[in-house]
Amino acid sequence: MKKRRSPFLTFSFYAFLLLIASSWYFVIGIKNASLTELFSKENLEYATKFFKGLLGVGQEEIAFLNRDSWSDAFKLTVETLQMSIMAIGFSTIVMFLTVIPAARNVADGTLTLSRRWYRWFVFGLIRVSYIFSRAIPELVWAMIVIFIFKPGILPGAIALALHNFGILGKLCAEVIEDTDSRPIRNLASAGANRAQILMYGVFPTVLPQFLTYILYRWEVIMRTTIVVGFVGAGGLGQEFKLSMSFFHYTEITLLLICYLILVIIADYISEKSRFFVK
Amino acid sequence: MSEKNIIEINQISKNYERKIALSSLSFVVEKGELIALIGPSGAGKTTLLNLLASILEADSGELLVDGKPMSQFSDQKKRAKKIGIIRQQFDLVGQLPVIHNVLAGRLADWGFFKSLFNLFIPQERQEATTALKRVGLPDKLYERTSNLSGGEQQRVALARLLMQKPEIILADEPVASLDPARADDVLDMLTKLAKEEHQTVIASLHSVDYARKYFTRLIALKNGKLFFDLPADQVTDKQLEELYQLKELS
Repeated sequence: MKKRRSPFLTFSFYAFLLLIASSWYFVIGIKNASLTELFSKENLEYATKFFKGLLGVGQEEIAFLNRDSWSDAFKLTVETLQMSIMAIGFSTIVMFLTVIPAARNVADGTLTLSRRWYRWFVFGLIRVSYIFSRAIPELVWAMIVIFIFKPGILPGAIALALHNFGILGKLCAEVIEDTDSRPIRNLASAGANRAQILMYGVFPTVLPQFLTYILYRWEVIMRTTIVVGFVGAGGLGQEFKLSMSFFHYTEITLLLICYLILVIIADYISEKSRFFVK
Repeated sequence: MSEKNIIEINQISKNYERKIALSSLSFVVEKGELIALIGPSGAGKTTLLNLLASILEADSGELLVDGKPMSQFSDQKKRAKKIGIIRQQFDLVGQLPVIHNVLAGRLADWGFFKSLFNLFIPQERQEATTALKRVGLPDKLYERTSNLSGGEQQRVALARLLMQKPEIILADEPVASLDPARADDVLDMLTKLAKEEHQTVIASLHSVDYARKYFTRLIALKNGKLFFDLPADQVTDKQLEELYQLKELS
């Protein structure tokens, strides 16, 4: 038996073909772009110049072979690490304070087996704050925060925490929503009250998952410090911006190496701690 | 066996939307009886157990526990001392070590700080060890619960009931997810421990063989009505055949 195709599917298929054809026509026919131009002699020259700069070919001062710049970079790396730990710490604390009422099965009372009229109100309020917090990118948060505070690693950490609080909150609330309610009902029938249900039923099941998310976000935060650093939030990011502006290419190489080391450290720690939890 | 009636059910009815789950059911349970609820699927066994556990409320009729109506047991902590529940094997917190799942039976008596403290330094270890010994798992104290087999998990649930010490144990299909050997094992232990502690057991079962083997009284439900209520040794094969018979096509 032949399946009948939905007219919408057919339509979107032809629309897709049309879109591709017209896009290529626009790029080649109207804008006169050509693929060969991308690989022109000029571009090649710029690229070699830039990469030679990064590697320090033919330069007098090579930052990543210099002891002093290494020690400076090390200080900045520690600063960046501090900023990322502060950021994930702030957002984790606030997430823990808000995550339980933000789960749908807590709001409707199926998880804790108790209903209160104000639960849905609190649920809505927290969920809206999550959306608000993660809808605004870190960079924008950083610009706002630095407008108020002096530049440094604290405002950077606050900006990163503000953005990640919403993400962590949403992810962790969903973990709570996915917990199996059967062991929890049974705890209730063994006489456990609300706090005891949370301690014995909810936290042990959700904490390993929480930890995975927190560590993952920590790693992301560490990389994002470069972005908030651009607007003056301190750490390696700020230095990166300065080196870019002064065309100190070898310093950029050095800073990239530092980032690489940071991410490797974060990777190692999260792997170990997840193994430990299991 | 004492003369005291621990459960009295009088003309109890329960409907879901238009479907009748239980219609004017009445029986009396004496203290220390081991009762098996049998009957085809949808006969109302689980509904009856949920009414007894006060998870559901009856539409009409009277349900007395220890001579008092169910509404007097609305406090979870009080109810836990009266009624304990064991279900299929999904009722333990898998991520916790065995000892915490056993000690959860004491939560009704513990306050907030003792419960919190217990998660770091297990309290009443002696009692928990004894309970686990009685169910035959003395060496699994600190094992992660989800690593245990289905039969072992049901034993842990039994050990929790030993800590909880309710007067009535409600068992909803306690062996439905176990193989025959484990099922025998768990039911044997459940009835033996209940006898030792002078507890009353009401268990819903799929298997008539287990019901006759381990329980003293069989209550059969069919379409929400009492089909028969007899001592285990007086139930005939013919009655059982009628109980599980599908409706004749007319």
